[in-house]
Amino acid sequence: MKNNLRRVVLALWLGMPALMHAQNPFIREQYAADPTARVFGNKVYVYPSHDIIPPQGQRTDWFCMADYHVFSSENLTQWTDHGVILSQQDVPWGNPEGYSMWAPDCVEKDGRYYLYYPNATRQGRGFAIGVATATSPTGPFTPEAKPIEGVTGIDPCVLIDDDGQAYIYWSGMGIRGARLRADMKSLDGELHEVELPRRDSVAAPARVRVGGEEMRGLPEGFKEGPFAFKRDGRYYLTFPWVRGQKGADGNNPTETLAYAMADTPLGPWTFKGIIMAEHDNGCWTNHHSLLHYKGEWYLFYHRNWLSPNDDKRRSPCIERVAFNADGTIQEVKQTLRGVGINQATEKIHIDRYTSASDDVTTQLIDTVAPLRGYGATLQGHGSWLRYDGVDFSCLTDAYLAVCAKAADNTELCIRAQSPHGRVIARVTMTVKSEMRFPGMTAPRVRDQSNQWLTLATAVEYVPKGVTDLFVTCNGAPVSIDWVQFKNRPAYFTPAATATAHPDAQGYIRRWMLLEPIRQDIRSNTIFTNSWLNEVFHKTWFKGQMTAIPHDGQQVKAAGQTLKWHALDSEHYNMRLFRFAEKYGSQTYGSLFWGVTVIDCPEELKDVRLAAGSNGASIWWLNGEEVLMLEGDRRMVEDDGMSARLTLRKGRNVLRCAVINGPGLSDFCVRFLGEGNTPVTNYELPSR
Amino acid sequence: MNTNTTETCTRLCAALLACQCSLLNMQAQVGAPYIHDPSTIAECEGKYYTFGTGGGGLISEDGWRWSGGAERPGGGAAPDVLKIGNRYLCIYGATGGGLGGGHNGRILTMWNETLDPTSPRFKWTTAVEVCASDGMEDQDAIDPGLLLDPTTGRLWASYGTYFGTIRLIELDPATGTRLAGNKERDIAIDCEATDLIWRDGWYYLLGTHGTCCDGVNSTYNIVVGRSRSVEGPYVDNVGRDMMHGGGRMVIAAGDRMCGPGHFGRTIIDEGVEVMSCHFEADLERGGRSVLAIRPLLWNKGWPRAGERFKGGSFEIESERRGYSLELAVDFVRMPQERQSWFNSEQMQKPAEPIANQTLDDVIGTWPQGNIDVRTSDYMFRPWQRWTITAADDKGGYLGAPYFKIVIEGTERALAATADMEVATVPQYTGADEQLWCIQQLTDGTFRIMPKAIPGSEGVNTRFCLYAAGDSTPTLAEYDFSSDNSKWNFR
Repeated sequence: MKNNLRRVVLALWLGMPALMHAQNPFIREQYAADPTARVFGNKVYVYPSHDIIPPQGQRTDWFCMADYHVFSSENLTQWTDHGVILSQQDVPWGNPEGYSMWAPDCVEKDGRYYLYYPNATRQGRGFAIGVATATSPTGPFTPEAKPIEGVTGIDPCVLIDDDGQAYIYWSGMGIRGARLRADMKSLDGELHEVELPRRDSVAAPARVRVGGEEMRGLPEGFKEGPFAFKRDGRYYLTFPWVRGQKGADGNNPTETLAYAMADTPLGPWTFKGIIMAEHDNGCWTNHHSLLHYKGEWYLFYHRNWLSPNDDKRRSPCIERVAFNADGTIQEVKQTLRGVGINQATEKIHIDRYTSASDDVTTQLIDTVAPLRGYGATLQGHGSWLRYDGVDFSCLTDAYLAVCAKAADNTELCIRAQSPHGRVIARVTMTVKSEMRFPGMTAPRVRDQSNQWLTLATAVEYVPKGVTDLFVTCNGAPVSIDWVQFKNRPAYFTPAATATAHPDAQGYIRRWMLLEPIRQDIRSNTIFTNSWLNEVFHKTWFKGQMTAIPHDGQQVKAAGQTLKWHALDSEHYNMRLFRFAEKYGSQTYGSLFWGVTVIDCPEELKDVRLAAGSNGASIWWLNGEEVLMLEGDRRMVEDDGMSARLTLRKGRNVLRCAVINGPGLSDFCVRFLGEGNTPVTNYELPSR
Repeated sequence: MNTNTTETCTRLCAALLACQCSLLNMQAQVGAPYIHDPSTIAECEGKYYTFGTGGGGLISEDGWRWSGGAERPGGGAAPDVLKIGNRYLCIYGATGGGLGGGHNGRILTMWNETLDPTSPRFKWTTAVEVCASDGMEDQDAIDPGLLLDPTTGRLWASYGTYFGTIRLIELDPATGTRLAGNKERDIAIDCEATDLIWRDGWYYLLGTHGTCCDGVNSTYNIVVGRSRSVEGPYVDNVGRDMMHGGGRMVIAAGDRMCGPGHFGRTIIDEGVEVMSCHFEADLERGGRSVLAIRPLLWNKGWPRAGERFKGGSFEIESERRGYSLELAVDFVRMPQERQSWFNSEQMQKPAEPIANQTLDDVIGTWPQGNIDVRTSDYMFRPWQRWTITAADDKGGYLGAPYFKIVIEGTERALAATADMEVATVPQYTGADEQLWCIQQLTDGTFRIMPKAIPGSEGVNTRFCLYAAGDSTPTLAEYDFSSDNSKWNFR
């Protein structure tokens, strides 16, 4: 039962690819190491190994990997998790409890996808490398019954040369390479019987049959994780390499990424140096791949960003790579920022900044749950950080949301191009406030200090295109997790010139709305019938019961100059609050007027006006009051109904007034025939 | 009040007592059940807990007498609490929402091994945010409610207020955190303080409609829509989507209390369910906001709050055949002039009413000691009339006090016997076997259980008044699928 439940949950979850992040590391919902990146079609697919927290019974200080996920992206900033593509339980020859699904590779040949993966064998010791195939890069992958004969080791990498010949490289008794047969599942050439190096724990020396050859020309020292590729006719063999000596002063005996070059796929190789230096935090491993995508070269590698105290739980990163004219590779520095242009509407984790003033620090948001990622702390006035490559062209009607935390009230600014650049948005953080209520002697204190808060603020200026974004602190220290620009929904569009009709459910979405008349209403309890009758029947402006206004026409009401707007609603209801916000600014305490013209091709008898409104409303058809919704009410479909009415042939005019104090205002209205069938056979002309 | 006087006096006193008790009984709960937005009632180590807006909450030993003392940090509004495995998950809105305070909301979850604040194991984990509203959206991230789907094991939360939509999110039941990649889904408008429940292939979304926080003028009420999928659409009884404001009333004002809000469902036994909520104003308690626990009835797949059982004088009718519980005493005939339709002289006279048979007419024929009970044709005779009143200071169970059941006008009380039968004793003493737990079942009938059975340890929760035969009541194991377990008060 429990298992079944798990499977259901898993299956449902698989159907729901998750959006991953830009910046380093680019996968944060889980640990993932050894990222092999490939281009299939016009997308990048990353096949990492999947580090997990060891379950009970497994060594807590060792690698632990039970399955593979695959991730894809078109822009290297937004990643989709396609879920599990192969699990240790599914490998016929593998140890189902081995937790040894180490670094994989995946290549495509003739429309089939070949996943190469190491795994602990069911019997015996050591690793073998298996193949699983699929017709899609995201699987499902079907594993072969047996591992590749003649391969003992880990870290497979497959290179398909321009002539179609495939080569496999792996790590085991040095770095080895071999030709693959056309089936992509077996080694070409003879196998040789060799004795495995003795291990203290194993009594008898094991003998295995091994194919291929050891790659020559590589430097001394520990090597693993070969990744081979071809560029401009040259072959590259890249690999993690420990150059430091244990115990030697100044040396760091952990892995660099290094490379050698050759004119042929299997060498001999000429060692060229390092691509990336050792991690500066002691993380022992690194394992990588290089990728050519949309004209640029990238290095994918890993580091234990989200597991600072345990280097067996790693996360994948990306950097740009540059080549010299002679084909050698320029050393790559690790960054927080990673690669890619961010759309301003993405969640931008600002703690992955490009550069910052010296006082800026980053720290895990939750040291117990490191997958929650980092926050960046600006220590005070003058503190800044820069985040490059944000594309603002996706913004239409935007505001800024920020996830931030502060110990005291403070202010921060988002600016363009420099720490003193133009302010895009200003965020006032009020984490401590007091409110006084009548009848209470002590003020009510609201303290949200030192809590992560999501705040929204207006955007003052929208930069054009791609720019660098700066965050500056204008007060007390503030920590920021992310910033995100959000486009507000388009609740309305200006009424189109084409004639409209009620929607399929009969809702009238085309209205002429007057900017709201200010009303001093502090509570909605006053909407009694008598009060409403007085307010609704008062003359607020000239022609309020007779005029058919046109778009942009102005009227004077209660000392205000107000404009009519001809609008089509995006929704079945007219969201007056958002209309007021956009055009009138008076969102709470408003009296709205609406007019719509209904052209009937024939007389429609015995129909009812069905309306819902928030708050109270009144409705007139052709000058005659047909319905009032009184009291403090919510907008509910078909809340109130008029008596049976006749829509006359030709022109009819429907008017309404809606009044509300605090809260959202909206209305929905339609005509219903007998049996509550929506009336839709009339026109809403353009004006 | 003492009742060791003459029989007549006893009867008078009993009548007075009944009156007073029913007044006491007007209260929703005893103790200090003051709360707003009570979380679904949680049981922990033999006590009941509910948490409210603003931090803190209520504790009850028996489900009837409630007092403050529950502890929840974080303040904010409208929490919900759910036991998952051997831990309690609390979800709450850290902000106040509301009209003046902006709509910048955050919802957090935290765990505790126990809800008992006096336990050394009582420690809330650090609260983790699961969703937020940024203040600009048609959204207000407060008022969360939890559902652990019994069919899939998936954990869901609904949240939101009138300011925009009610939203659904999925959480990881192992951690209480938001499931990676889960996107919010809009499932309703026009309500707040929502809760999700599952029953018999349907998901139900219960929302609070109407106006909050206006004391005796609050029009708060609880409405429901249902869906075959947890993700909606939630549709009401006339086919209206809750995204268009649909919803069918589950509970409204009444019983001198108004403004019910913040639904929670508790399943006590098969066919025995209660709903918890608060009333914005209890007119018996100065218009304060109080906890209420009502029977939850189900009719054709729709939930509705049952009335609070307050006692009174009734026939106790078996759902089995319709026979009525009575004393096994002589059937005392009523005198009557024989009426003959062919006697024209008699037919010319006006038809005079006949007085009911009275207790005095028959009580002399009854034995003095214990009298057995049986079920028989209901003839509204004194040996068939029962007065049910809340037993003073005898505690209760979820939502109601224990009741005493006596023959109307006497202190002759229905009691469980050691041989698992029922009988009456001449004098109510307040002994546990004379106290009855009366619960309205989901189909509207009632279950009647003795608090204790002589010779058996502890509080009885298995055996109920049961129709063994058409004429033979007994005590037997409660079985919702059998009408033998069910009774009606008429």
